[in-house]
Amino acid sequence: MKSTAELAKAVEQALAYLKSAEQVTEAEVFAASNGNLLARLNYTSHIPCNGVEEPKSSESYGLGITAAFKTEAGVTVGFGSEPSDLGLDGVKRALEKARSGAVADPEFSSLPRPTGERRRLRRYHDPKLMKIRDEELVDVGWRVLRGSLKTFLDSPRLIELAGSRDRIKELGLIVGGDVTIQQERIAIASTAMPEVQTDESTLIMAFITAMVEAKASKGSGCSAGTRLDQFTDDAGVEAAQNALAAIGGERIPGGKYTVIFGRQPVADFLNNLILPSLSLGNFYSESSPFMGRLGKRVASSRLTLCDHGAQRGLMGSKGITCEGLPTGKTRLIQRGKLVGLLASYYEQQRILRDPRSREKLGVDPNEHGSAIVPRNGFRYWAGGGRQFGVQPGIASTNAVVQGGDQSLEELMATVKDGLLVGRIWYTYPINGLRAGDFTCTVVGDSYIIKDGRIVAPLKPNTVRINDNILSILSNIIGVGQEVKGTLVWAADEVVYTPEIAVRNVRLDEIASFVEEL
Amino acid sequence: MSFQPMTIEIIDQIRPMIVDLATRYRKSLRGCRYADIRVQVDEGQAAAAENGGSKHSTRDYTFAIGIRALSGNGMIAPGYFGQSLGAADLDRLAQVVKDGLRHAHHRALANAERKSATREGLDALGDALTSTSLAPIDIHQDTVPAQFEIDPRTVPLEELVALTTEVSRSALALDPHVKYTFISAYTLLTRELFCSSEGANIDQAFAMTQGTCFIVAHGASGTQELYDYMGHQRGWEVLTRGVHEESIRFPDFQAFSIGLANDAVSLCNARPLKPTNREAVVVTDPHYNTLLVHEIVGHPMELDRALKLETSYAGRSWLFRNMQEHQLGKPIASPLVSAFSDPSLPGYGHYKYDHEGTPATRVTHIDRGIFRGFMNSRQTAAILGVSPNGSYKATDASLVPLIRMSNTVFGPGERDPQEMIREIPHGYYLVGHRTPSIAESRENFRITAMKVYEIKNGQIGELFCNGGIMADTKDYLMQVDAVGNDFRLYPIPNCGKGQPMQTKRLGNGGPTMRSRARLTGISK
Repeated sequence: MKSTAELAKAVEQALAYLKSAEQVTEAEVFAASNGNLLARLNYTSHIPCNGVEEPKSSESYGLGITAAFKTEAGVTVGFGSEPSDLGLDGVKRALEKARSGAVADPEFSSLPRPTGERRRLRRYHDPKLMKIRDEELVDVGWRVLRGSLKTFLDSPRLIELAGSRDRIKELGLIVGGDVTIQQERIAIASTAMPEVQTDESTLIMAFITAMVEAKASKGSGCSAGTRLDQFTDDAGVEAAQNALAAIGGERIPGGKYTVIFGRQPVADFLNNLILPSLSLGNFYSESSPFMGRLGKRVASSRLTLCDHGAQRGLMGSKGITCEGLPTGKTRLIQRGKLVGLLASYYEQQRILRDPRSREKLGVDPNEHGSAIVPRNGFRYWAGGGRQFGVQPGIASTNAVVQGGDQSLEELMATVKDGLLVGRIWYTYPINGLRAGDFTCTVVGDSYIIKDGRIVAPLKPNTVRINDNILSILSNIIGVGQEVKGTLVWAADEVVYTPEIAVRNVRLDEIASFVEEL
Repeated sequence: MSFQPMTIEIIDQIRPMIVDLATRYRKSLRGCRYADIRVQVDEGQAAAAENGGSKHSTRDYTFAIGIRALSGNGMIAPGYFGQSLGAADLDRLAQVVKDGLRHAHHRALANAERKSATREGLDALGDALTSTSLAPIDIHQDTVPAQFEIDPRTVPLEELVALTTEVSRSALALDPHVKYTFISAYTLLTRELFCSSEGANIDQAFAMTQGTCFIVAHGASGTQELYDYMGHQRGWEVLTRGVHEESIRFPDFQAFSIGLANDAVSLCNARPLKPTNREAVVVTDPHYNTLLVHEIVGHPMELDRALKLETSYAGRSWLFRNMQEHQLGKPIASPLVSAFSDPSLPGYGHYKYDHEGTPATRVTHIDRGIFRGFMNSRQTAAILGVSPNGSYKATDASLVPLIRMSNTVFGPGERDPQEMIREIPHGYYLVGHRTPSIAESRENFRITAMKVYEIKNGQIGELFCNGGIMADTKDYLMQVDAVGNDFRLYPIPNCGKGQPMQTKRLGNGGPTMRSRARLTGISK
């Protein structure tokens, strides 16, 4: 990993060079060094396995240059990057790529300018995570795996089901998932914001699935933090405990149900349906189900949602965006009303100049500037951190659903008869994002509620949800009190949410043939 | 100003050094039983346009290494290392690779020690923790050139900009209902070097060219967002002339995109399909079956899923519960259905060796309705006691390979597709795949189509938007009662699997088929 000082020096030198480069009227330099370390787990009691299957890492560093050029054909803008070279040769290579690829983008106005907001978050990374050794990476994987396996070994329920402690392996115990460590360092400066800014963040997270496969039970556990010292085997223990609790799952007939969605399903809705719909870029392309609804009601008044990138201690927090602008709190949905959108500088500027902006948003953005502040321009790519070779796109940081006033028990009492759904999968907008239609299956951590109490687990992979996200948002009847962070496979953002109860959710029973295999 | 250009020819320079590191230097790492090194260099160009305005273009390279070590004293375990590199690394490449080998080896050694200790300390649950082994393969040294007419490196970048801008502009201008167009294109050459401590030394090159089109149209029925792509393992000619091979056929990129825009206009004025609670007769065209075979045949036939390695991510396979209970040798489809993966076919799934040097092999998955076998890797083949079949592939050299489809397809039948439709008193004809959602072990699916036509008395009738089908996988496959002779291959550019997720290009396809399923429509 390159130090922030090395990145900052490189950016400073590059900017000095660019200021005198031929035809360059504006320029921005972004340098990054990333490490993505991962211990992937695979334990199967009934199939030979490695336990920790893949202790691995992927690393990169380099710099990217965005430049505007004054040419005979007018102003053109281009982006170029060069890996593994922070020196002047690397700068020259990146600049030539930017120059040769520059195009006359009719909607380009300028590179990012200060928004008037101030940076709030500094020095929030863990130096130990930045220097983790090979053996420590392997250790954190085994720590979590042992947490799951000891929970299984100590379970009287499994011994009872198997007949003896020696035979519990015959129940098909599975532990999968990973411990991921993200190391990110960036530096950025531009002709408009020449003072070099740096940012440094670390994250350690575990996402574990445990199963008692012979009993078709599945449980999940996750943990995340920003410090190595705080990392425990909690995720492994939680996953195994949830798998044990889900033994004896039952099928249910299809129909409309009142459903309490746990944190993972809410995160899946946000990640795949709601946050993309709140991205300003999807308003430009007329792909959001919330077209023309800024300032209007889009959900139950029980729902309040914001993006908060500057909250210390939250997993997705960053000091600055990858456009060099301060992160902060963006109110998105306030008591059911759409009040703000996720924006990058480029998207903000072009919607301000779009002659159809009022039609697209529902209001004149020039009169509602606070709804589209560019706090979410990030250069994420393939789960590998903030990449020097990528131009900024819009991404959420920490999506936070405000807690309500009901405990889980009170939510279940409100629901009376229904379902507690703790994990869904493959949640996609099935007829395009704007239509809002989606489908997914329920894959674990789920229970049947009768008379306000859990009476049995819901068997995984036996129901498919077929519904519309606008209906889900409108039919919220309760929001839980306890807000916790959760992770979704392959998502860059982190979701903090309580459970949410929704009425009239359409479910179809599926895969009955599996019972006959 | 002049720089030494970073080109795929660099593989020729570094090949002897990588061979030496994988063989001689590996021996200096105490306890390292096996190592392999993958090096990848890409040279490519790309451009994108939106609503008739150019947005982006680039000519660039990527360069990466990935290393696997199997190490241990007694108990053996794996360790990995990956890194993205640049031109500046060339002078120090030997040291970079040595450092990577040491990291992978140290991780593997530590992993083996912990595995051994955990095995001892976990009573009965420790038995499953076993020493890592790779099934044997024939070791090859080979060089495989890329196939193309127009070298992707020789195309002026301005030509990509002009093409994408013009296609975006003309699609937008096609009809007032079209509100938004996003058009992108790329053309690249990739060269992959694989060297192992067993002596493998394989250099494969690929050309790849793709055009992608996203159209938003608004009409009487609301908004339609349609997305499709054309591509092949060939040069720039793919987009300028189209593809006219026996199983892969595309018009040029302009005509392809205008066709999609026309579909979007028709669909935004078509009625939405109403979902049904009962099964209907459905005929699915080769493009729809491309995604269907991908999701309900290809993925559950990946042995890493079957052996539970994807339990936390991309899911398991309903075809394999454990070593004793599985569907191998059993009927899982109608006798009319055969399916296989064949890397020797052309298209996105074509290759000669996988990323651990195993020669690519045609894998029969379903033979006239009977389930016959999985795609595998050397490690998973050793667990199941079968021969490796060359299905272990990574998206990028810095990432650890996964078991991946090559060209995974439904085999062709003998029926005339038109006749298959003419025989139906009432049913639906699904044309073009759109969006999938599959149950975790692939036992159920819902996949939407771009277009759904009603069939009445053997005639194609009204067009519906936002339609698709939903069915249980085995029931659907068992009810196939006709298979067409119109076999086609299509590219799938974005198959997600693994952690961190790898997005991979591969090929899928099939002929027209007829079965029964519930219709899906809008949910409001």
